[in-house]
Amino acid sequence: MGALLENLGQFLGAIASFLTILALFHILWAALLGIVIGALPGLTATMGVALLTTLTYKLPPDLAILILLCAYVGAIYGGSRTAILINIPGTPANAATTLDGFPLAKQGLAGRAMGVATTGSVLGSLIGMFFLATLAPILGNYALKFQSFEFFWLAIFGIVISGHLTALEDPIKGWIAGFLGLLTAMVGQEGIHAYERFTYGTTELLGGFALIPAMVGAFGFAEVLSVMRNPTAEVAENPQDSVIPKLADVMRYWRTIIRSGLIGTIIGIIPGVGEDIGAWVSYAAARRKSLEREKFGKGSVEGLMAAETGNNAVVPGAIIPVLTLAIPGSAPAAVLLAAMFIHGIRPGPMIMVESPQFVYQVVAMVFFATLAIFIYGMALTKPLLKVLAIPRSRLMPVVFVLCTIGSYAITNRIFDIWVMIGFGIAGYILRQMKYPMAPLVLGIILGDILDKNLRRGLVLTDGDLTPFFTRPICLVLWLVTLASIMMSIDPVRNALQRAAWMVWPGRRRDES
Amino acid sequence: MVKADFLTGLALVLMSVFVLIESWSMPRLEHLKAHPLSTPGIVPAFLAVVLLVFGLVLVMRSIKAGGHRLGLSRQGIRRVLSEPGNQRLLMTAALTIGYAGVLVGRTPYWLATGLFIFLFVTAFESRRGMSAREFWRMGLASGILAVTVTTAVSWVFERLFLVTLP
Repeated sequence: MGALLENLGQFLGAIASFLTILALFHILWAALLGIVIGALPGLTATMGVALLTTLTYKLPPDLAILILLCAYVGAIYGGSRTAILINIPGTPANAATTLDGFPLAKQGLAGRAMGVATTGSVLGSLIGMFFLATLAPILGNYALKFQSFEFFWLAIFGIVISGHLTALEDPIKGWIAGFLGLLTAMVGQEGIHAYERFTYGTTELLGGFALIPAMVGAFGFAEVLSVMRNPTAEVAENPQDSVIPKLADVMRYWRTIIRSGLIGTIIGIIPGVGEDIGAWVSYAAARRKSLEREKFGKGSVEGLMAAETGNNAVVPGAIIPVLTLAIPGSAPAAVLLAAMFIHGIRPGPMIMVESPQFVYQVVAMVFFATLAIFIYGMALTKPLLKVLAIPRSRLMPVVFVLCTIGSYAITNRIFDIWVMIGFGIAGYILRQMKYPMAPLVLGIILGDILDKNLRRGLVLTDGDLTPFFTRPICLVLWLVTLASIMMSIDPVRNALQRAAWMVWPGRRRDES
Repeated sequence: MVKADFLTGLALVLMSVFVLIESWSMPRLEHLKAHPLSTPGIVPAFLAVVLLVFGLVLVMRSIKAGGHRLGLSRQGIRRVLSEPGNQRLLMTAALTIGYAGVLVGRTPYWLATGLFIFLFVTAFESRRGMSAREFWRMGLASGILAVTVTTAVSWVFERLFLVTLP
């Protein structure tokens, strides 16, 4: 009880620290910009946060992270507008929103759908925020026990699970993307003997590929190419009904809201999975449990609520491993992590020892961002439709100019512009071939962790691999990793299914 | 997709073999009395082995599905290139890489940026059968956008963030 009160006190203190005109001003514009970025098809949350990192790197750390977080929460919410109105998810996180959001809009209930999306997003963020405030300190303290062996498996676990969940149809592609990311991180001076790997005498490569230009390329430039290639979307008409969220929806679907919030938070905590998977899993769970299953896909309020609660709950969930393990839970969280390093903040297991107040500051930032999307959710419908009408031929060159200058500005190197171009082209091609980007980005971040900890672990045990497999956390991590790989191999999965049917003969009938 | 998978698999196999050779040739640092398992090549070699396995799986899988029969023909390539979406893609790639890769750093930033935005908008918005009035209106709009964006971006980064523009 004492610890809970102390946590609450720290949270209230963090809230108070942002009650300044300057901070409130930043919250309002950043959340608005996030919503606009999210609403515009082709501009994703990752791209928005990456571009904003380059625009805020001269600001004090707390304000810069506040801006990035508001934009992140705003973008995930903003994408629902486009999903409802034009059946195109503003960000990949809103793909599940289109299933019921657009049918509702076609029935003349676009306003109601947007109100439900606002309710879901706000409550999802709040549920995630609650777990961020309660789980991050616990996980932070627990992570202090992690040694090289655990960190090695955490890196492999992150890549395998992220690869599996972001490429469900063909997990091998997710794993390839993740391992390519890990290999990319091998370029540059390594951290133990300072040997230059794969640099071939290029001084610019000594520090490896900088994360922000790589992300701006993979998510920004690649998006510019995609948007310009695809046909133009038609903009819907103005909604005629009210966009004000209804309390009755909350009362009626409270179980779905809590379940989706929990699912979203858990998906967020899993490294490199992200908001889109959070929304899909929440949607699927809501459909399975719903009493109105037949309405799903035809304009179900419950389905829309589940998708929007799930994706927004991922945001605070994804920040939990960022703060406690320095491992991102999603692609935008990866940029956030990079931004924290740029600003001299050192997230990771030591955060609860070195700067516990920062964790509560982040919780307060999520709270303010949620408040901002709630306000905008009710006030911002017609102006947003005007933004959606901006032709891509005018928007995309501006986005690309920002991609270019943003990549250059952090270290004033033309080389980083080439990194952005290279990752943009590679990202576009990989995406066309159904390789997910999130494991790739996660791999770039986890590469250094994997490299140092595998080698350190091997040196500590003089080459004995036993601790890598027998320490309790390692055991769990490698078993889950192995299970994930085995379950994606068809003959193994089929054999397991057959075995399950033999043990529980009734299960097959239930599933069909 | 199976053809693309076949080619990707082959590329992965070749890349993994290259990384393996490079990792093997990295110094063992025995003169520094470094532990043999802490040598710089060990992790890249491990990753290369994993990617080699994945690459081989992709190649074998796509061969089973007939992906190795690429069936490339001039006509096929011409058809792909003449698709409107691909033409837009190629034009976007040419304009963006021309701007960021060639112009930026070699010409004054304001000139490169202004020119890029103007050309981009004009290239994508001009169409056959446009009246002279429509054309001028579009040109004026792209000019205004080019000047506004260039001024704003230059001012923000140069004056506010104190960045030396490329």
